[in-house]
Amino acid sequence: MNEDEAFEYVKQNLKRKKITPYHPDELEIVRSVESCINCGLCINHCPVVSSVGIDRFSGPRSIAVELSRSPPEFWSTADKVYLCTGCGTCREVCPKNVNIPEIVNVVRARIFDHRLDLVPKGLMLVKETISEFGLAFEPWEDKEEKKESRDMRLEHLGLPYIPDRVKENAEVLFYPGCQAEERAQEVREAAKIILDYFDIDFTLLDEFSCCSLPSRLMGDDKTARDLATRLKKKVKKLGVKKVVTTCAGCTSNLAEISERDNWGIPTYHILEFLIDEIGLNRLSEELEKAPVKDQVHVSVHDPCHLIRHTSRQVMDHAMAILSLMPGVRVTPSDAHDSCCGGGGMVSYHSSDVADAVVSENLYALEQTGAERLVTPCPLCTAQIEKNLFKNGSSIEVDDLTVFIAQRLPKKG
Amino acid sequence: MDLECDLIIIGGGLAGLVSGAIAAEAGISTILLRKGQSATAYSSGAIDVLGYLPETIEPFLSPSEGLLAIAGLYPLHPYSIVGYDEHVDTDSVVQTIVEKTREAIEWLKNHLDTSIAPLIGDFDTNRYPITPFGTVKPTCLIQKTMDYHDLETREDSALLFVGFSGYPDFNPAAAANTYIEDRIASEAPPRKVGHCLVNIAPFGKSYNLSAIEIARHFDHKESIEKLATLLKGPIKQLGATHLAFPPVLGIRNGLHNIEKLQDLTGGSIFELLGIPPSIPGLRLQRSMEDVFTRSGGKILIGHEAVSCTKEGNRVTSIVANSPRRQIKIAAKAVLLATGKFIGGGIKGDESGFHEPVFNLMTVTGDYHSADGVLPSRMTNRFAINPEGHAIEYCGLSVDPHFRPIRDDGLEWAENLFAAGSILAGYNYSVEKSGLGVATATGYHAAKNAIEFIKEVE
Repeated sequence: MNEDEAFEYVKQNLKRKKITPYHPDELEIVRSVESCINCGLCINHCPVVSSVGIDRFSGPRSIAVELSRSPPEFWSTADKVYLCTGCGTCREVCPKNVNIPEIVNVVRARIFDHRLDLVPKGLMLVKETISEFGLAFEPWEDKEEKKESRDMRLEHLGLPYIPDRVKENAEVLFYPGCQAEERAQEVREAAKIILDYFDIDFTLLDEFSCCSLPSRLMGDDKTARDLATRLKKKVKKLGVKKVVTTCAGCTSNLAEISERDNWGIPTYHILEFLIDEIGLNRLSEELEKAPVKDQVHVSVHDPCHLIRHTSRQVMDHAMAILSLMPGVRVTPSDAHDSCCGGGGMVSYHSSDVADAVVSENLYALEQTGAERLVTPCPLCTAQIEKNLFKNGSSIEVDDLTVFIAQRLPKKG
Repeated sequence: MDLECDLIIIGGGLAGLVSGAIAAEAGISTILLRKGQSATAYSSGAIDVLGYLPETIEPFLSPSEGLLAIAGLYPLHPYSIVGYDEHVDTDSVVQTIVEKTREAIEWLKNHLDTSIAPLIGDFDTNRYPITPFGTVKPTCLIQKTMDYHDLETREDSALLFVGFSGYPDFNPAAAANTYIEDRIASEAPPRKVGHCLVNIAPFGKSYNLSAIEIARHFDHKESIEKLATLLKGPIKQLGATHLAFPPVLGIRNGLHNIEKLQDLTGGSIFELLGIPPSIPGLRLQRSMEDVFTRSGGKILIGHEAVSCTKEGNRVTSIVANSPRRQIKIAAKAVLLATGKFIGGGIKGDESGFHEPVFNLMTVTGDYHSADGVLPSRMTNRFAINPEGHAIEYCGLSVDPHFRPIRDDGLEWAENLFAAGSILAGYNYSVEKSGLGVATATGYHAAKNAIEFIKEVE
């Protein structure tokens, strides 16, 4: 048997025994779980446990000391491990820095490899969409209808249309993410308006594809790595210096894969970009020039993928920018940094859990008396908006990028 | 984006939050870096000042009695350091220690008065609240929800321990047995103690419940009314005048719930002390965060201080990591309150004890270098005993200004201060002095840092 044959033989053997070896980039995550001291502090902070009870979702401690320790294929964990929203609260409060949200992905990846029958059906539908289109949502069949929808949204929001542009060697690649690309098109348009207003040399991808986060979260590791490779090729080919996105999930995922796969190109959320590249002084000057809109009373939601997967400072930037806007009054909500329930693909198969988690945010939001909620993530926007609507609330939700674009003066 | 401020506090437990609030109240621009949750969030939720002298079993009657003993016997104890000040003459050192500790504890009590964790009790006497195991422990201040009123003075008092079906962290029968044995031995009321289990089933199931889901359940409307109905039978059966609950009667609404439950049942309702993961600890943690931010302090959660830059004898900036970003914060002074082994302020491994941010000198309880000392050699064979474990005395040695010192006895940097359980020379689990030391050293280390900042200005 030559070396290659031996390697194939071992691989087949592992597959038969339902073993997926850990990737080198997973080893650190696996080791972090070993340092769990079983203290249970995380249980007090997990938004899913407090919303549905520890019997339904056994909680982060159970993931660290039980669920992640049932190799090789982890089949016995499947009724619990898909209920984690991946908000990262447990990792943040953990005195030992146990990487629980990532070990969840590692476990889900093993179940996906060997026990596809246990993967929730709702996730398999998303997997099919991603495999077919390279997007987390089915694209519009009729491109004209998509344009009409976009124009209606722009008109409704009072925003101008900035044409798409694709060019090589631009300073910035604007990466809208699947939600803004296919559904919340106004977010994609708003970012273009902001970048254009400040004369940023930017480009879009000629053919958009998913950042790979949804595949990673459902455990489809192979597709996730394929999508990441595909995106790296496109970004490198364009020759941009940085990537800017409007989606919280894309921000943290791009930051992670660009480091893991050696892109050599940093990625930022548009809020970070505005603070670092434009600066608060310039922003203040421009926002003052805009014709004064009506007074508006807002509250803010912090997306998990920004605060707990990237940096809490991003939301300090958001608050700083809001404080510059004439006529905007902000009242913080008690649950401003509590997960909206929309993470971890939970809403695709257990929407009752996702909705129980968001109810805490809705309650705290009502207490603020705000008429509008702003958040710098189109996915949080959709999840909270849907639930406010269902509860008959009059509070409206805006993506923060759109909210900023609306308050810039017309470019002249 | 890089930041700038006057004072950086590293660590968000009680010591860090007290010192941050003191600085912010004095108009000092303060940034507090907090990686996760502190040991304060695991705590009983009561403020222990001083319960026991190590190796003794008779508790102190009051914090000041304890402090007098500590000042005499342990001149390097964190409490004792509070008394060393160039303006204090030798005769009044002990009195200064007592008064300065009193000042800090009263400050804390006043500041938490309108929070979700208001405190009762006073500095001149220790109280002996009941734990979930039915034992009692000496402490100075307890949360108002733990107020057991005239339980131990009223001749006809009868106490009912109430547990929740399916909540495994509290066994009311075991607690009642332990507690009544203790009361019989001391021939004091209550002479009647009972226990019961009630079925509240927050999510329709009466098994596998956690403290947080029960506490959240009681924050919701109408949950208390239902509980009151369930309690009618057991109260009548025992003739209970007082009812003891595990400390899960709400996160935000604890006190309000207790008042309502008292109205509905006619009994005196109180919570037992917290055990990890503790709801009273969580209330205390959140309340102190509020105190700090309302004083004008800025808190950066999820940021772990990893290194510093030092110019001459001063720390000039701190580098902190969040999951995907790194920031550098420049400051005039830094206060280190990263705790001991739970908080990560001191790490012990096979190469000895280390302080990870500045690599400061660590010492053992007898003030020898702890570098190279094996942690496993410093534990006692018995987990719970009056001597405690030598490992718990390890930490940083500081000068009278609460500045960590080097092996030559001089400060490591003139603008680096330390407070809380990172300090060496005391054992909070034996002394029952954890949150008291955190408050007193946080309070006075911050005063020293403020003085330094004002001088350089």
